[in-house]
Amino acid sequence: MTFHSSRSSLRKRLLMSVICAAALMMPLQASVAVADDVTVGQTFLASGLDPAQGSNGWALVTHGIAEQLFRVSRHGEVVPNLASSAEQQADGSWLVTLAADRFFSDGTPVTAELVAAALNRTGEANASARATAGRLTFEALDSATLRVTSEQPTPILPSILAEWAFPIYLETEGDPLFTGPFAVEQFDAGTSIAMVPNAFYADADGRPDVTIRRIADGQSMALAFASGEVDMAFNLPVETLSMFEGDEDRAVTSFPVAYQYMMWMNTSSPALSDVRVRRAIDLAVNRDDLVLAARAGQPATGAFAAAYPFAAEGPLPHDPEAAAQLLDDAGWAMGSDGVRSKDGERLELTLWAYPQRPDLVTFQPVIRAALSDLGIAVTTQVTESPGDVAGSGAFDLFLWAQHTAPAGDPGLFLSLFFETGSARNYSAWSSEAYNATIEALRTAIDPAERIALAQQAQELIAEDAPVAFLVTPEWHVGLSERLAGYEPWGSDYYVIRPDFGAAQ
Amino acid sequence: MRFVAMTLVSWLAAVAVCFVLIRLVPGDPVEVFADHMSLRLSPELVAAYRAQWGLDQSLLTQFWYWLQGFVTLDWGLSFATGAPVFGELIDRLGWSLAIGVGGMSLALLVGAGLGFLAAAKAGGLADQLSRVMAIGGQALPAFAVGLIALWLLAAQLQWIAPFGGGTVERLILPVGLVAFFSIGSISRLVRAGFAETVSAPHFKTALSKGLPYRTALWKHGRRRASIALLAGLAPDIAWIVGGTAVAEIIFGVPGLSERVIDAVVARDYPVLQTYVALVALWIIVGLRICAALRAWLEPRPPALGLRP
Repeated sequence: MTFHSSRSSLRKRLLMSVICAAALMMPLQASVAVADDVTVGQTFLASGLDPAQGSNGWALVTHGIAEQLFRVSRHGEVVPNLASSAEQQADGSWLVTLAADRFFSDGTPVTAELVAAALNRTGEANASARATAGRLTFEALDSATLRVTSEQPTPILPSILAEWAFPIYLETEGDPLFTGPFAVEQFDAGTSIAMVPNAFYADADGRPDVTIRRIADGQSMALAFASGEVDMAFNLPVETLSMFEGDEDRAVTSFPVAYQYMMWMNTSSPALSDVRVRRAIDLAVNRDDLVLAARAGQPATGAFAAAYPFAAEGPLPHDPEAAAQLLDDAGWAMGSDGVRSKDGERLELTLWAYPQRPDLVTFQPVIRAALSDLGIAVTTQVTESPGDVAGSGAFDLFLWAQHTAPAGDPGLFLSLFFETGSARNYSAWSSEAYNATIEALRTAIDPAERIALAQQAQELIAEDAPVAFLVTPEWHVGLSERLAGYEPWGSDYYVIRPDFGAAQ
Repeated sequence: MRFVAMTLVSWLAAVAVCFVLIRLVPGDPVEVFADHMSLRLSPELVAAYRAQWGLDQSLLTQFWYWLQGFVTLDWGLSFATGAPVFGELIDRLGWSLAIGVGGMSLALLVGAGLGFLAAAKAGGLADQLSRVMAIGGQALPAFAVGLIALWLLAAQLQWIAPFGGGTVERLILPVGLVAFFSIGSISRLVRAGFAETVSAPHFKTALSKGLPYRTALWKHGRRRASIALLAGLAPDIAWIVGGTAVAEIIFGVPGLSERVIDAVVARDYPVLQTYVALVALWIIVGLRICAALRAWLEPRPPALGLRP
């Protein structure tokens, strides 16, 4: 074999390889072609279709498959959904009237008997449904009216029924059926859910078929969105957003979510037992700097995201000079080394965070710098077990993320984290005035009164500063042209809604 | 019989240690669940969850129940989803096996071929490629390589739909990723095995009898190359688990590891413990099979002191 013939043979073999590779790839390329339905990429997916099992209830509602009797609106209000009204009776029980003309996805009307059967089963099977007011018992009085009694009296039953544990379903011999705008066509655990419009839901013709694909990794999600494999990417890591700048076919929408970032101040810690020190720290933190560090979000105004009607109004002050004055008044004198001291004790604090919320770890150096300027030496610590450390009280400052109104009501957060002796009162704060306000909130029924009491409670918190509310974070949703009209809201509680895809 | 007994003892020791270690990881599963789902749990409800999940039993009792369940294929209920762990993991096992076994098989096929070609012509193209791949396999982070492959093949060239395609299409990149990181090391092992043969007198004799170089090398060197490969392959059995996990996460494949990431965050003991047991079984059985194959390929005379 000559050298020439050898090279020629090599070229032929290479050419054949390329042709073979191209032939292999052609069918693959064809499968990328855009289908008629809409594909949604989500980092989470329902693990099953039984809403009484684990956290399936939440996932089924957020997927647009299931609905509750009440839901939280985009303005943070609890509004009727499958129910039309709820009225508390003199004996503490509630009468819930169902909305007319609502159906399961097989056309079966939603009746009080079916609702009672579903929710009584859930209450028995899932402890999460007993979390807020103990066990709820549902009794059908007629086809459209339910009597609901709770183990512990509650003035906020609609809010409880808007919790994720209470979707309505119809048990069948196979998978349960639901009432949401989309019905399950095929469920592949851990992979995808193929859905079709629920034919018995209003305006079904205007909805596309939807497939939800689980893509757990945020970077992969961004690449799937960039490749056109998904029409919606829920949600994208902030560091991937630059990929889509100037992209004419894709847009990224950011929206505030209700998982507030805050910083507990341990009132049982010697230095922080003085309210002036706590208020000084609150004043020293520049929330705009934190937003800049996280590259997304809005400065917090209080315990709740601004969309809620009971959110505190106005920006929280940033005033380092006033903060320094408060520390001077409290007897903490600036030392030559830039650290304040009092009676021979240096003003040194430990600031904790946890990596499950990376933004909180990002905040640590920003806060340390701000407090250092004020003359407070801060040591930072990170823990994988925030509940253990916070619960033990072995901290001075603790950065925390918390959904503060998961069912559209302020009572749970304000009570659980701030009432004297409450299970998660991590800052060990105690205020009689505050306790009285929460007691009034516990029994108030009128929504306007509840809003006023919640705002009053936040004012009391701000005065005593057992916590510094920092940032309302934002999430980022990638949307293809086909979903350009979609507006995300409600954190991850209502991702696919009746209006999903309507803009097509 | 001894093989089975040793395998069982090793496995039992591994799962027992891991059973304790998993529970030593800070973070109470009930508290983690309540936090994640924004639940307010009274002490009574916390106790109810702990009883439902068997956490109110002693560690020994918990282990005994788990062991009984594992053997009888009743792997308990997931704390996070409430679904039977057996069903959840078995559905995913197929994907993981396809990626792990597929990746390993591809790596063996390509790596062995490359190693043979590298040995046949030292310093040639195959030898250099083999060296580069071995260094790349050690130096490059699998996560980054996977993301680059995704960016290039899916986002830029749009040759493949790794998330929405059919089963085969979804497996191409994960299998390729797992294989990529083993091809280099396998090829170097095979090359080393064949290279030993080249200097052996019987190989030179074969050449002098007129056998073509490659034929002689294959005929006389493959046994030695296989032994070298089996000896060096053992660490890759563990890598397959790690590589499969990375591939599943990057390419969104619903395999075992992808589920385990969630289980770690949720402190979902039944899922974690079962996963550990399966991985331990895979590694221990894999290592013992490698050892048995080596013994079969290279029988050694018993030590003098043991002769009857």
